[in-house]
Amino acid sequence: MKFEHKATIPAPIDQVWAFLMDVPKVATCAPGVDSVEPLGDDRYRGTIKVAVGPIKLALQGDVSITEKDDAAKKASMRADAADKRAGGAVKAVMSMALTQTPGNPNSTELLMETDAQVMGRIGEFGQPIIRKKAEQTMNEFAKNLQQAIAAGR
Amino acid sequence: MREFDFHPATSTAEALDLLGRYGDDAHFMAGGTSLMLMMQQGLVQPGHVVGLRNIRELRGVRSVPGGGLEIGATTTHREVERAKETSAYCPTLAENFSRIATVRIRNQATIGGNLVHADPAQDPPPMLLALDAEAVVASKSGERAIPIDGFFEDFFQTAVREGELLTAVRFPRLPDGVLTTYVKFLPRTEDDYATVSVAAALKLGTDGRCEHVRVALGSAGPTPIRAHQVEDALSGKQITPQAIDDAAELVREEVDPIDDVRGSARYKREMARVWTSRALRGLLERSNGRQGG
Amino acid sequence: MSTHELRFTLNGEPRQVSVPAHRRLIDLIREDLALTGTKEGCSVGVCGACTVIVDGNTMSACLLPATYVDGATVTTIEGLSPEGGPLTPLQDAFIRHGGFQCGICTPGQIMAATALLAENPHPTVDEVKRWMMGNLCRCTGYYKIVESIMAAAEVSAPVPIPAGAAGLSGPTHRIAGS
Repeated sequence: MKFEHKATIPAPIDQVWAFLMDVPKVATCAPGVDSVEPLGDDRYRGTIKVAVGPIKLALQGDVSITEKDDAAKKASMRADAADKRAGGAVKAVMSMALTQTPGNPNSTELLMETDAQVMGRIGEFGQPIIRKKAEQTMNEFAKNLQQAIAAGR
Repeated sequence: MREFDFHPATSTAEALDLLGRYGDDAHFMAGGTSLMLMMQQGLVQPGHVVGLRNIRELRGVRSVPGGGLEIGATTTHREVERAKETSAYCPTLAENFSRIATVRIRNQATIGGNLVHADPAQDPPPMLLALDAEAVVASKSGERAIPIDGFFEDFFQTAVREGELLTAVRFPRLPDGVLTTYVKFLPRTEDDYATVSVAAALKLGTDGRCEHVRVALGSAGPTPIRAHQVEDALSGKQITPQAIDDAAELVREEVDPIDDVRGSARYKREMARVWTSRALRGLLERSNGRQGG
Repeated sequence: MSTHELRFTLNGEPRQVSVPAHRRLIDLIREDLALTGTKEGCSVGVCGACTVIVDGNTMSACLLPATYVDGATVTTIEGLSPEGGPLTPLQDAFIRHGGFQCGICTPGQIMAATALLAENPHPTVDEVKRWMMGNLCRCTGYYKIVESIMAAAEVSAPVPIPAGAAGLSGPTHRIAGS
């Protein structure tokens, strides 16, 4: 599944970049993530809880930053998470790019592209619903990100 | 299937007690059609299943003095379909229930289970929306009524909270002379969910103006959809085929369908318009036919 | 994991069994009680091959927990006619009119049609099709199934679902080859 999300963040590009590279802070913008633990080497471990009605998943996994370009303000991450009890797993690759909003140095455009695969039994359950749910999660993530950066956290 | 403890409850109080005792490790089972499937697929794995089938007070179709209808949550679809009280209240409601799946499913599955399962492709929800029904929900602290318009929050998610049990569905008295319809646009076989479905109610005054209108759609979004914009466009207006078609155009913005085996989102959006129009035009014809003699 | 004592009537005879909560009715019937006439086709309640009759109503045995039948009257295909004895008019019609080929869906077809004729002894073709649409068949194309049911409807007086049929009811009786 491929997704694309764009968000306008009311903050200068350097501030947004600094926030994004703070993975523990960024991770908690994702709904269902309580905390992540740094493992060193740009790798982090955490759990994301997702629910589709009565179906509740706790996906445990690792996130690693695979590419970081401070000058161009681009980064890529990969995430591998599984819920052994429910028999499902998610693999995702995400790339982020920042550009200054044309004509406004206090505003930044964020572009996120995600390629995710849902596998196992949860993957068999209504692919369209999973897609919708993943979109909802990404939308909320983008919104929380905007708010967190704007609040100067 | 993961092993579980089964607790057949014999009263609402007992069911709520068991729910309180086991918390979110417990799941209610009425007919069991949806729950059995989800448990076999490993999607839900409760340690405790509380059986509702033996709770007599939760079963039955009753006419309400004043012209309404009340259906107990563990009444099977087939019982709803066949009850004379259902046809007396609204024949289209009986027909709507008769369109669910196969007779075997209708013999086992229940109206309450259907509502809390909250798959937006199911048949009853749009009909219940068109009839202004409400869900009655009980908890240890009492009872509350939730209008069906607002009951569904997301895929497989409803306004029923932890510690609550759906006990009945109530229907208000219908406006005298209102006409109702349920149309189910099926992609493949008769026992399937719809590509899109429309439930509608319409009452015209003698001057041809719309006195009452309801339009609701199934399989058209993460929840069943009440098409408020379509209704607003028709309410109080002279109803003509053109007025209907213009209003039906608005449904395209109100639906949010997904791509799946029953159609692409784009196709479903267009079919939502087509079938909203057809449903309302059908009601207009019946209304004119009736007035013509 | 809880265990439950079930008391129910099966093909006219009282039965008592002990099952774990998660046992499906189809497994109770086929494995525990060795009545293999009821077939498992899709496992999700769609195909109708596992149609049984519980308290007069057709249901999918693959979707029912065994605990569902506590206190109930259950009929499987084996219960429609006595072993070695005469077939029902419906079963006879299926043979005469070619209502089956491989036979895997046939027990379910006959159970469904038996329930139909018990409720509506003289259905129209449309009524037959509407009722039977939940029983899938890969061989016949359905024409002969409908024909068999219509033929049976013509010859018989209303046949209630047999409650006291002396059919197979336990592991001591096995149909050769099943």
